[in-house]
Amino acid sequence: MEQTGLWDKLESSNENRERLWTKSRTFAGDVWFRFRHKPTALLGLLLIAALLLFALGGPFLLDHDYSQQNLDYVNMPPSIQVTDTAGSRFYVTPNLKLIEVAEDGTLLAPVPRLQDDFNSRTQTFDYNGTTLTLNYGLTPPALVDESGNPITDVETIHNKDYPLGTDGLGRDMLARLMYGARISLLVAFIAAAVNMVIGILYGGIAGLCGGMVDSVMMRIVDIINTIPLTLYVILISVVLGNNSGLVSIVIALSSVYWVDMARVVRGQVLTLKSQEFVFAARTIGTSSKDILLRHLIPNAMGPILVTVTMLIPQAIFMEAFLGFIGLGVAPPMASLGTMCNDAIEALRTSPYQLFEPALVICITMFGFNFVGDGLRDALDPKLKK
Amino acid sequence: MTKYIIKRVIMMICTLLLISLLTFILMHAVPGGPFTSDRKLPEAVEAALNAKYNLDDPLPIQYLDYMVDLFHGDLGPSFQYEGRSVNDFITSGFPVSARLGVTTICFVLLAAIPMGIVAALKNGRWQDMLVMGVATLGVTIPSFVIATGLMYIFSYKLGWTPTIGLDSWRSYILPVIALGGYSLAFIARLMRSSLLEVMGQDYIRTARAKGLSEFKVVTRHALRNALIPVITILGPTIANLLTGSFVIEKIFALPGLGIHFVNSITNRDYTAIMGVTIFYAAFLIAMIFVVDIFYCLIDPRIKYD
Repeated sequence: MEQTGLWDKLESSNENRERLWTKSRTFAGDVWFRFRHKPTALLGLLLIAALLLFALGGPFLLDHDYSQQNLDYVNMPPSIQVTDTAGSRFYVTPNLKLIEVAEDGTLLAPVPRLQDDFNSRTQTFDYNGTTLTLNYGLTPPALVDESGNPITDVETIHNKDYPLGTDGLGRDMLARLMYGARISLLVAFIAAAVNMVIGILYGGIAGLCGGMVDSVMMRIVDIINTIPLTLYVILISVVLGNNSGLVSIVIALSSVYWVDMARVVRGQVLTLKSQEFVFAARTIGTSSKDILLRHLIPNAMGPILVTVTMLIPQAIFMEAFLGFIGLGVAPPMASLGTMCNDAIEALRTSPYQLFEPALVICITMFGFNFVGDGLRDALDPKLKK
Repeated sequence: MTKYIIKRVIMMICTLLLISLLTFILMHAVPGGPFTSDRKLPEAVEAALNAKYNLDDPLPIQYLDYMVDLFHGDLGPSFQYEGRSVNDFITSGFPVSARLGVTTICFVLLAAIPMGIVAALKNGRWQDMLVMGVATLGVTIPSFVIATGLMYIFSYKLGWTPTIGLDSWRSYILPVIALGGYSLAFIARLMRSSLLEVMGQDYIRTARAKGLSEFKVVTRHALRNALIPVITILGPTIANLLTGSFVIEKIFALPGLGIHFVNSITNRDYTAIMGVTIFYAAFLIAMIFVVDIFYCLIDPRIKYD
């Protein structure tokens, strides 16, 4: 329909009178529209995408493997302080080894040690024929060249081989972070998925059957709800043992957290099951199983989705917690929680080992919480506070 | 009311029985016995130990024995530390944990409720943004990260607070903040949204219409009702603090019950794990019960069913 001027009469042909001039939006489009107008939700989505890329794609870009140990390069921080002497740069490691470093921060090679004199608290190193002495009676240890002059030029350069440093066994922190994030996310996703399935079935059956079945099933849920679940997650992990690692954590997390999901689904099913489309399905002889799976659950998908996005950060939190108290995946596997736990001992000297996995945990939590909040508001605009 | 309490007590006893049974079954599902270790014991020694702790009896009998002991307040011996009983762990550790826990709850309530009130009254302004920002941080950062971060900054770098132990009031500062962080954030958010909702009610408009000062409207009319959801959340908060204390006590090396629990997990000290779990669970359920009763007393609208 063409308008020539603002004040022209509109054509009144029949076909256009009833036409909707705005494009009709689907439910999903509607949700997406509301979702993307919330900056925190978009930020959360971005964080999750970045995290997935980091965890899944990252390892392909690295030379180091998450489990590859290099005992020459133990506890190397991300930025190292090197002493500069006649164009050669050396780094003194916390456990008194001497490493030659190139100008751009590449670690060249450890300098071979000649002898260690406990009495004078000095070590001597052989660098291409010249002898370097390290006096470790001083703090910080001082490097002295052959003629006895202390080397004082200190500069801080970035560790190019290990951009995020190494851990206590000389493993690349960046590679371990990527791997740890992958394990943590894997645990969280599987646990959330299992919880979702159990919760949907349990809540769906309780809601659909109603009556005696419902009250017994919900009484059980009430009892489980009063039990402090963290204790039982710990207990189940203890019972399943550490050797199975990943599997036992997934089982422990999946076996208790379905209760919330069951409640949500039951509530949804109760409100939906007396609606006309369910009666219609019943009249044409649909079985209860099909009514539940084909009619009720798809209609309850909104609240289910919100609960799942909230389950994932909860599972990551719990996994980190378990890893931190020593019930995590078995080494050399790493999760973000076990990495934090490993870092505690060296907190004073190498705090970066703790702060890096902690930061990744926080980013994950932010991401999923923001997306969960955004999704809840987008799916149910009436709930707005 | 009495009927409600009786019903809740019966429910509580059922839950406790279920918990003890569950814990017992889980602990006996462990492959091997409590004396299975890397060093193989001589068979005669193992048999003697099994006989001493009645481990040869059929499981139901063992469960009954355990329950009888439990009713006498005896949680059994520790399998890892010879000569110590699980009761020793609890009597030595629980007071420390309880002191930390009570301090934390006071701190959380005293800080979170004013924060939530300020955020709600200054809705949308910078005070609100600040409180909500802090609250979001508190909910997303795990307690062990807060604890170690605080410890690194304030104990190692600045040297203001002691790193370990509970010698003076200063030692309480960091553990209390780290332990209460999550609950603080959660309660502040809850307080804010609940007060915002109440402030939109008709009776607040009535109170304003009859000329009350804003201070009186908030304190006399709004706050009373807005506090109810906060009281409901107290039970879960206590649970949260309790489990949170495992890691906090580990990081700050506090001699509480939490660290005993974590150590017994590492040592696979099964009786200790079982005893402490049952103790914790019973304690928590009792606390939640008390909170619920209290909740019914202050809110007459609750139906006792």
